[in-house]
Amino acid sequence: MSSVSTKELIHAYVQLPGVLRENFKELRSQAKENLDTCAFPTKKDEEWRFTDLKSITSNKFESVDTGIAQADLELDEYHLPEAMSSRLVFIDGNFSPSHSAIEGMPDGVIVGNINDFPEHEQLRSHLGTMTNYEDDVFVPLNDVNFQDGTFIFVPKETVIEQPIHILNVFTHRNNPHFVTPRVLFVGEMYSKATIIEEHIGLSDNVYLNVPVNEFRLYSGAHVHHARIQRDSKNASHISRPVAMLDAHAEYHSYTICLGSKLFRNEPRVIQNAEEVDFTVDGLVLIDGEQIADTHSIMDHRFSHGNSHQLHKVVVNDQAHSIFNGKIFVAKDAQKIDSFQENRNLLISDTGKVNTKPQLEIFADDVRCSHGATIGQLQDEEVFYLQSRGLTEQKSRELLVYAFALESVESMAVKSVEELLLKEVIAYTNRD
Amino acid sequence: MLEIRNLHAVVEGEELEILKGVNLTVNKGEIHAIMGPNGSGKSTLSKVVSGHPEYEVTEGTILFEGEDITEMDADERAHLGLFLAFQYPVEVPGITNKTLLREAYNTIARANEREELDPLEFEDYLVSKLEIIEMKDEFLNRSINTGFSGGEKKKNEIFQMAVLNPRLSFLDETDSGLDIDALKVVSDGVNKIASPENAIVMITHYQRLLNYIKPDFVHVMMNGKIVKSGDISLAEELEANGYDQMQKELA
Repeated sequence: MSSVSTKELIHAYVQLPGVLRENFKELRSQAKENLDTCAFPTKKDEEWRFTDLKSITSNKFESVDTGIAQADLELDEYHLPEAMSSRLVFIDGNFSPSHSAIEGMPDGVIVGNINDFPEHEQLRSHLGTMTNYEDDVFVPLNDVNFQDGTFIFVPKETVIEQPIHILNVFTHRNNPHFVTPRVLFVGEMYSKATIIEEHIGLSDNVYLNVPVNEFRLYSGAHVHHARIQRDSKNASHISRPVAMLDAHAEYHSYTICLGSKLFRNEPRVIQNAEEVDFTVDGLVLIDGEQIADTHSIMDHRFSHGNSHQLHKVVVNDQAHSIFNGKIFVAKDAQKIDSFQENRNLLISDTGKVNTKPQLEIFADDVRCSHGATIGQLQDEEVFYLQSRGLTEQKSRELLVYAFALESVESMAVKSVEELLLKEVIAYTNRD
Repeated sequence: MLEIRNLHAVVEGEELEILKGVNLTVNKGEIHAIMGPNGSGKSTLSKVVSGHPEYEVTEGTILFEGEDITEMDADERAHLGLFLAFQYPVEVPGITNKTLLREAYNTIARANEREELDPLEFEDYLVSKLEIIEMKDEFLNRSINTGFSGGEKKKNEIFQMAVLNPRLSFLDETDSGLDIDALKVVSDGVNKIASPENAIVMITHYQRLLNYIKPDFVHVMMNGKIVKSGDISLAEELEANGYDQMQKELA
């Protein structure tokens, strides 16, 4: 594949209306420079060698008009009962005030659209500071283009009880287009919040979804972050979620990949002070010709950090899963306890799995364990259930369900757990 | 109830016969014991009868309640009332005993046009069966056999048997690896389940189990065939003289 310029693939990143372009001008102009100089990745790049980007490169993506979101769109079925007054909805990237509901937040808390707070000190001082992806076109693409987005600020010692639901909806819009959702979360000392970030495609159209998240957790802040990807089956989704943690902060993230033709997720958690605790779990359920690729970095730069990553994958049909989990431990970052496991279940003869744990440890007093397994359903397990009266199909379903369930159980929000159980059952029943 | 006629079987895709013409008749209310040395085919017989896909029947028939089940899938045989207590019960992390049993019980009920039990009724029913194997309620919510001791696994097999209430049960080496206390609990459980309406076939290497569960018939299996049948005295003879002696006599 010859190298293609990002410009050719993804059009019109300068068409933002003046007022939006004026916001975050510095960030955008720097990003535009990067975008102009960086080539779009190909399989020749080490970090992309297993990932077929055809679903992006075979299209040209237009930007979505900025403006009013579809106010009459019926979205009730996607609302979470726990988040009826803590919900932000974005439709094809545009903030929809009529679908959103933010009420009863504790004093000082901000949960809203980024564009309503362009001069906010916390926003200005954090936005774009954590997303240091090397030779990357996707973060700059988001930087240059994001219009609306989520800004959450939780002041010192403040707890937001209800989960905040960030719902990104993609309608049946026809021409291939790209959307750049953005989230900035700032949690001050000993604050606490739960974030459910969801991406839902309402039809099977072609689009490119390029979300960028920045989570800054100051000392003692706790965040649960669930990410649910149910994009259109012809969509491509390239994610850049970053979290940066100060001392005693805890960040527990859980990503579920169900939709999209191509999913590339690059979560990074940066230990920015001593004694932090974080989780980067994932569940991937793919079939057909789906590609799901997770390239994660758990970056321990200081001592006494605990990190945990359980990445579970079920592959059916010709689907392809890629996992590259990096654990970095800096030279003076002693007493790190890091666990990583990638477990793959192949339920077809034609599925494909590439898995690569990658540990780069420069300290000498650390405990890092990692493992990767690729397995199939055991005939003996199927027979055992079948001998109890379950059909072969039901036995297989139950075994896949059990495999996936182990990670689902760690979800913090009840209705999300139920949603996932339904999705897992639906997955095991797909033709 | 069960009639096995001239049963020959191989491991799927291989040529070597493991069962070489087994004949066995089991009637309602009877308890049978099949004894034999390692590799005699006795465990294979129990798997073939319960429909293990690893084996292929090359000759002969298995009739259950007059119906030819030789080619049936394992679940269909279970619906008719066949049960296999595994020698090595399979661990299934993530699925609780309760989930499996409810699914199994209701699937069998549907297949027989009997009433299914709702979750509450089923819970009561399960709890009522726990005493058979002297286990506590929390047993129900543990993942199937996951992290169970050898004894717990075997108790779980008997518990499943009690819950599913089969007409004919094969107990494959249910005594192996059990200490004396666990053996007593397991065999007490089997004795409580045994009734004039069902039948049990025990597969065992040693006579020990037969001290606790009294068989009406004892069969000796060697080299893929039942070579001798009799009553409990046959087991005593084996215990005293060993399989080698019997093999010599038969030769």
